[in-house]
Amino acid sequence: MTFNIIGSILPEVTIAIAICIVILVNSLVRNASVTLIHSLVLFFLSFALFLSFVSLELPDSNIFEGHYVIDAFGTNLKIIALIAAIFVHLTSIKSKQNIKNEIFLIQLFATLGVMILCSAHNLLTVYLGLETLTLSMYGIVASNRNSIEATESAMKFFILGAIASAIFLYGVSILYGVTGTLSLDLIENSKLLDSLEMRIAVAFMACGIIFKFGAFPFHSWVPDSYQGSNTTAAIYISSVPKIGAFALIARLFLDSLNAISDFWSILILSAGLLSIIIGNMIALVQVNLRRMLAYSAIGHIGFVLLSFSIVNPNGVSASMTYLIMYLIMTIAVFALIESIASEDHQHIELGDLKGLSKSHPLIAFMLLFCMFSMVGIPPFIGFYAKWIVLSELVNNDMIWFALIGVTMSVIAAYYYLRVVWFMYFENNDQDIENKGVINTQSITSIMISAMLLLIGLYPSPVIDYTRRIISSFLLID
Amino acid sequence: MILDLMIWSPVIVGLILLLIGKNTASLSYWISLATSLLVFGMSMYALSMFKTDQVGIQFELIAPWIERFNINYHLGIDGISFPLILLTTFITPIVLLTARTSNKINLHQYLASFLILEGLMIGVFSALDAFLFYVFWEAMLIPMFIIIGIWGGENRVYATIKFFLYTFLGSVFMLIAIIYLYISTGSYSIFDFYNLDLSRMEQILIFLAFLFAFAVKIPMWPVHTWLPDAHVEAPTGGSVILAAILLKMGGYGLLRFSLPITPAASNELSMLMVALSLIAIIYIGMVALSQTDMKKLIAYSSVAHMGFVTLGIFVVFLNHENASIDNMNIAISGAMIQMISHGLISGALFLCIGVMYDRIHSREINDYGGVALSMPRFAGLMVFFALSNAALPGTSGFVGEVLVILASLKVNFWIALLSSTTLVIGAAYTLWMIKRVIFGPITNEKINNVRDTSPVEFIPLIILAFMVLAMGVYPEPLMKLMYITLNDLSELVFTGVGL
Repeated sequence: MTFNIIGSILPEVTIAIAICIVILVNSLVRNASVTLIHSLVLFFLSFALFLSFVSLELPDSNIFEGHYVIDAFGTNLKIIALIAAIFVHLTSIKSKQNIKNEIFLIQLFATLGVMILCSAHNLLTVYLGLETLTLSMYGIVASNRNSIEATESAMKFFILGAIASAIFLYGVSILYGVTGTLSLDLIENSKLLDSLEMRIAVAFMACGIIFKFGAFPFHSWVPDSYQGSNTTAAIYISSVPKIGAFALIARLFLDSLNAISDFWSILILSAGLLSIIIGNMIALVQVNLRRMLAYSAIGHIGFVLLSFSIVNPNGVSASMTYLIMYLIMTIAVFALIESIASEDHQHIELGDLKGLSKSHPLIAFMLLFCMFSMVGIPPFIGFYAKWIVLSELVNNDMIWFALIGVTMSVIAAYYYLRVVWFMYFENNDQDIENKGVINTQSITSIMISAMLLLIGLYPSPVIDYTRRIISSFLLID
Repeated sequence: MILDLMIWSPVIVGLILLLIGKNTASLSYWISLATSLLVFGMSMYALSMFKTDQVGIQFELIAPWIERFNINYHLGIDGISFPLILLTTFITPIVLLTARTSNKINLHQYLASFLILEGLMIGVFSALDAFLFYVFWEAMLIPMFIIIGIWGGENRVYATIKFFLYTFLGSVFMLIAIIYLYISTGSYSIFDFYNLDLSRMEQILIFLAFLFAFAVKIPMWPVHTWLPDAHVEAPTGGSVILAAILLKMGGYGLLRFSLPITPAASNELSMLMVALSLIAIIYIGMVALSQTDMKKLIAYSSVAHMGFVTLGIFVVFLNHENASIDNMNIAISGAMIQMISHGLISGALFLCIGVMYDRIHSREINDYGGVALSMPRFAGLMVFFALSNAALPGTSGFVGEVLVILASLKVNFWIALLSSTTLVIGAAYTLWMIKRVIFGPITNEKINNVRDTSPVEFIPLIILAFMVLAMGVYPEPLMKLMYITLNDLSELVFTGVGL
């Protein structure tokens, strides 16, 4: 029944309606106030979140003739994506930066793309979601129209992204040629899974996915787009799209192509391992804060992929735990940076952090939390993320990868500590008065950073949650 | 419950001070002092309840934490950890008391860091779950990093990052070893690790992974190089805590993890450990002789003294014919007493250097001379601590070293001989420093005008001197506190080695 179908995809529908309304308000209401747009976006995101929680109760079903699947895994990922989107949105409220209203519109589009990816069960729908997401991401990066750098990085991102999408599509078409189907359900029944053609197809698709994660060797867009765009854009592209990529890799590789996991796990493993090494090494020499965080993000994503390549439920749930904790950390750190960036001062270099502990003591303190969390020092969540991945690596006889991982963490510690060093150990030449920073944005950022510690003191819920999701996902199919 | 309070009350008070303590330097000073005294009171209460004739863990507390990985919030103390906890709760109030003698920016942050550090250190000593232990062990780096980085000397950034990276690098390998042990046993409880039947190769690798973490902390030659930098650059309080307590965590780790979990590997690698200890004792002692910076000199002397701790822990395995549980008891009690005594003496020496630095603003030996003439009260105490550092009989420094030398004598004459050279070398570098700093004519104009110690500086030193003397003359209560546990440990290790 049509109504049932609509009922199952209500969260997506809500976001689609939100997009229409925001477009209408933006174009019909003259000088639409930012507050209005903010409230609308926030309302619809929260409503979609609420609906997703409701649809957790729905039985699993395939709709649109198997193009779309409603299950606990997809819905939970949507919930995570929506929560992340809400936080991202909260942090950009009352931003001092010159932000056009349309960036929020494009963010809604991207969120919709992620949600489609979470449920897509046919390579056509997958591509639909992927392109909705990717095209919006180009827009997000380019949204800072007056900046030459933003335009440049958007252009680079667009060219690379287009190539990556084409490669992905090429892989899909080879896969179609081999198996004769695009449905994720039917692919796994194909008898030709272990053929050379199939491997080529998988390798091509892996390139597309790795590009979406922003991992080595398709990482070069990450630093440029983090640095070139404004912080609002950087928060978004560093967080929500990764959930879509995770959904894609889980549904396509882990589920449908499980039969040749021997092959793709090597691809993912090497991408992960090299991301950890390259990301952390290059981050060592960065002086621009956003660029440094971009390379550090590559390193973090490396851990996610490394753990994913273990393929068994424990490894994948560790990977997802890392992803969730990474999202919290990255949103927190960008939100804090955003709250100290000013309109005319977008390029935060390490040197600009001098004396931050005096001018913004609370922000500096929270940034200290974030940095130690990213290093992986307990009791912050970054430690649990690293530990759970290491546990699974050791458990699966991959102790050497675990050793490389920890060694790189120690190297990474240097550039994270450098941030603390500049904030706390260096004094600014001129005296900065203690500015009041009580607004929605800084309250949000401080709240998220406090979560780093609070979840760190009792991480069980997150660990159990991911485990439940992953085991339900792997049992169904 | 009492352990809970001892860990968390300083941490919580510290966090509160951090958030709201600004512009209330005086109030936060008294609050933090009161908190640390309260914790000291609690530890005294625990001491009165502690049964010295009971084997095993006391004040045990266990609650599930991360159930999926079988991780528990498991605390408890025994004869190995309790003396070190007492040392912690005793040193921290002293450090906080002297916090105001020199002018510091953001005093409330300084005090808060020390309070948080105290809670975490007690946590390290009382955690019986390896995961919880690791959490405390690592978390402790944060306040120490901040203390050296903000209130340290000129080269503080270099020193603190070096300190952090060294210890972090050491600990991550321990983390891998702990994870490996968890996978073998299905539990993070340290006592479950003891019963594990590990192959020879596994034991050696796990031993080395733990050793890396502990050797950096102790610190053993050749991974000691962070210590002189950290000591020199740290503020007085930081140096005191570093020397008195942080270094002891390495020794504690060897006794808590390495010996019981990997007895066969401890036995097999004891030659290496003894060799490294002797290098620390003799070579680092020589290095200390040539220092011109007082803090650096004491830092190197710390490395040399900690060499006795590792020597005491491992020396017994060298000679299986003469190996007996009694001898092992003597050796590791010596190591434990050496740790406590070094905590008191080096802490006191760093306080002394702090007193002089606050007045003259120099740590160079050459800038001093004739301090005894202008600060007689202080000079007396400083000479006393220097003599205890050189292991003068009657002071606590003597007891630990003599026990270890005694135990080594039963093992091998030459090791005993080599290790006892420290009595000469130690006397040489400390007394030579004293001669140049305290005695002689006044060479520096500034020394003429300094005043003698104020009560706030004098009282902590007097208390420390009393403790050093008491332990030196009558170490029996401390020995009794540890005896049962150490005996139990020796038996466990001897069974593990197969002696």
